[in-house]
Amino acid sequence: MQEMHVTFLQAAIISIWVAMVMSRGLGGATLTLRFTPMMTGLIVGIVFNDIPNAMITTAAIQLIYMGVFSPGGQMPSEPAIATAVAVPVALLGKMEPTAAVAVAVPVGLLGSYLYQLRFFFNTMIMKLTEKYAEEANSKGLTFSIIVLPIICSFALFVPFMFVALYFGAPIIADVIKSNAGGLVFHILNVIGGGLAAVGIALTIYVIGKKSYIIFFLLAYFMAVIAKPLNITMVTYAIVGAIVAFIFVLAKNEAVNSAVDQPRNNSNNNNQVDDDDY
Amino acid sequence: MTEIVQESIDLKPETITKKDITFAWLRWYYANEIPHSFDRYLAASLMWGLMPILKKLYKSKSELAAAYQRHLLFFNTQITWGGGTISGIMASLEAVRADEVYQNKPISIDNDVLYNTKAGLMGALAGIGDAIDSGTIQYIFIAIALPWAQEGLAIGALFPFVAFVLYQLFVGYYFAQLGFKLGRNAATEVVGNKMQMIIEALSILGLFMMGILAASYIKVSSSLKFTLSGKDFIIQDTLDKILPGVLPLVVVMGLYFYFSKKGLKVTKALIGLTVILGVLAAIGIL
Repeated sequence: MQEMHVTFLQAAIISIWVAMVMSRGLGGATLTLRFTPMMTGLIVGIVFNDIPNAMITTAAIQLIYMGVFSPGGQMPSEPAIATAVAVPVALLGKMEPTAAVAVAVPVGLLGSYLYQLRFFFNTMIMKLTEKYAEEANSKGLTFSIIVLPIICSFALFVPFMFVALYFGAPIIADVIKSNAGGLVFHILNVIGGGLAAVGIALTIYVIGKKSYIIFFLLAYFMAVIAKPLNITMVTYAIVGAIVAFIFVLAKNEAVNSAVDQPRNNSNNNNQVDDDDY
Repeated sequence: MTEIVQESIDLKPETITKKDITFAWLRWYYANEIPHSFDRYLAASLMWGLMPILKKLYKSKSELAAAYQRHLLFFNTQITWGGGTISGIMASLEAVRADEVYQNKPISIDNDVLYNTKAGLMGALAGIGDAIDSGTIQYIFIAIALPWAQEGLAIGALFPFVAFVLYQLFVGYYFAQLGFKLGRNAATEVVGNKMQMIIEALSILGLFMMGILAASYIKVSSSLKFTLSGKDFIIQDTLDKILPGVLPLVVVMGLYFYFSKKGLKVTKALIGLTVILGVLAAIGIL
């Protein structure tokens, strides 16, 4: 019974961590902290004293958020917030990682509205920044550009996360636990297993060039064929780097020889002309 | 007499060094998204990054206030490629301008030049930077570490985080110094031929790793089976005999074509796929 609770301290620590990430108060490092669930999952694992299961669940969540980053600052979902709620729920309810994914998606969507509110606060604060700039008040600028936005974001994210964790997570976990093993779980698992495709498709789209999809297909079938061999990701990365290098090298050679060709021809022509003189 | 000399010494802009540029880069890197607002985006972050340099360059309060204000116009870019390069370029342009102001020369680097340089570079560099850094490098690190996370190891989270942060610090530092050295010409270097090759190779590596991930981690299989004249037919087994891994591939390629046709509608894709998979699972096909 004791296990089904999130303690005050656990909820507080995770809330503060999320606020540090979402306020971007940890600096440029929050880019990857916000866009990928990995570090948040680890923090939750440490707080709940169950790093192995937290990491396994987070790995499943990571798959749906592959390729999620915000060109231009807008993002459809907030992976860090989703993870901070879904992993505790999974740990409390002893859920399959893929089922936890289905919990993460709606929470992440909710989180993105909260992030929009942050922009709204910052837009108000901007008036203060303008005033300090006019006065060449450097200390004031540090206050209005750095300190005040961080304080506002904390006021926004800490209460929200705390309520979601302290009151919300045990309830969700309870509901899920009492339905274990049924059709609901089969559906959650299928959804969780398939949603990984969204992140990967997004990444392919963002990386660009349509004709290069062939490298995706090459790797896909390579991995399907080699599955029984248990080849590590590092090995695959090295093979991928070699393939990329060969392609660029070959392409460059082709471009160079194409450039050289006409030059040689014109040289020959000149020589012929010279002979004529 | 001495008073006038005193004042002119005071107003002389200090020389901007490599160290100042590094410091400005680190300040921009820290402030980056903190003051993000609807109307100016990241303008205040770049200004906060440049503050110590502007203070060194403009010793009169009115010139300093003007400098602060002109860097508060709308600005949005990517953190390393965009922000790094533009920090460096702005520093070098402001240094030229400060000198012109001090020597009472006609100002060649006026507000328009400064803003147009920023505006011209921010979009292009953000496009490259987002695709390379957040879209490719970050996920190459994650792809490598994901199996560790799946085994329940903390290194699965720590490795991609530390590696990506170090990568960003290094790349941004490089671009900031490059921007400072080359002034306005830095952009040609960034979109130059050699860089283009590196970008291309990284794109291929990124796509390759996505293929590996797709094969390993997308789990879509049919649970459909039926009995026909005493023989059991399991659909997934039949599929595996023809083309193993076909269902996950269909899902991921379907999404890819959806994104290329309709643009980056991620929320719609998430919800749509959830509904489709949910229904197919409920009726027993998946």
